[in-house]
Amino acid sequence: MQVVVVLAHPNADSFNHAIAQTACTALREQGHIVDLLDLYAIGFRAAMSAEERAAYHGEHPALEPMVASHGELLRHAEALVFVYPTWWSGLPAILKGWFERVFVPGVGFVFNAKGKVRPGLTQVRHLVGISTYGSPWPYVKFVNDNGRRTIARTLRINTGLRTRTRWLALYAIDTSTVQEREQFLHRVDQRMRSL
Amino acid sequence: MKVYVVHCHPIASSFTAASRDRVLSTLADQGHEVRLTDLYAEGFEPELSAWEHTNHLSSPDLKPAIAEHAANLRWCETLVLVYPTWWSGQPAMLKGWIDRVWVAGVAYELPAGSNGIRPLLTNIHRIVAITTHGSSKLVNAVQGEGGKRVVTRSLRVLCNRFARTTWLALYDIDHADQQAREAFLDRVERSLRKL
Repeated sequence: MQVVVVLAHPNADSFNHAIAQTACTALREQGHIVDLLDLYAIGFRAAMSAEERAAYHGEHPALEPMVASHGELLRHAEALVFVYPTWWSGLPAILKGWFERVFVPGVGFVFNAKGKVRPGLTQVRHLVGISTYGSPWPYVKFVNDNGRRTIARTLRINTGLRTRTRWLALYAIDTSTVQEREQFLHRVDQRMRSL
Repeated sequence: MKVYVVHCHPIASSFTAASRDRVLSTLADQGHEVRLTDLYAEGFEPELSAWEHTNHLSSPDLKPAIAEHAANLRWCETLVLVYPTWWSGQPAMLKGWIDRVWVAGVAYELPAGSNGIRPLLTNIHRIVAITTHGSSKLVNAVQGEGGKRVVTRSLRVLCNRFARTTWLALYDIDHADQQAREAFLDRVERSLRKL
């Protein structure tokens, strides 16, 4: 399977990086072809520019080579894995910007003749979200876990009918023990092997 | 009243910019004291840096890049956010502003060893969000209204405990004619006159 792993954390020694490494290793050992997009490391620009916004509904909405190449990867991806810390109940700006700039019309979705949005990623069979939260579980539920909604609903409705969504969450990371983190990495490893 | 307006759209001739102009003219008319931040115009960088992440609990005095925005947040009684909803949430530019400016010492404090944050923006009694959606209200409901929850829950809990939120949204904007757009601007004006 072709798998795209998207990682959004500024610190190379972060726990999120350890998660992404664990996930990539497990996936590769299962024989999958994995592309890791470490958004901070490749210097991805979060904000959609005025030029990109103006070109959004035109023939060629992806203006930068990096953005176009990510769109090309998505066309063949059968599984998408997102690894990110939840900040203010949502995606970090760099990941939110990646959605806005890469999943443009023709990649993430298409407009039909009536201007309605139709799925553009029907070949995607698995969506996986792996996130760390500063808050404990009840608080995350109270604020609606908006990053998860963006992936499990807004992105999900642009994939195929039979796409499966899995979510792996480590809550209250600031007070978690080393043992809890190791258990979580083990869970990530197991889940990726059974994908 | 002291009102802080934050505007986020890359294009100067956009409907969002027209909404901002209506907000500013109404507020001036009512004699309010207004401060404006135009994130795209000032070239705000939405990516939280590795240094900022490592020092996320450090004093905001060490973060001169956000000093002016933080001072405005501590100054205002009403916060007005004007932005388009993209991928069911705030654009990366605005999400990054929240990630970088609503930090410890500005928006909250985290007592040692705790997962529970204590709000600091008790000066804010009202948050007004003015936004546009490409999709319909129904689709937004299915997607879980992530952008709305970020404002009415994640940000709201960092403000005064009696703070009220006002949600003004134009849904299905791609199919909204001139009349519907004018009607929305009038609605924005009526709502702001009641502040």
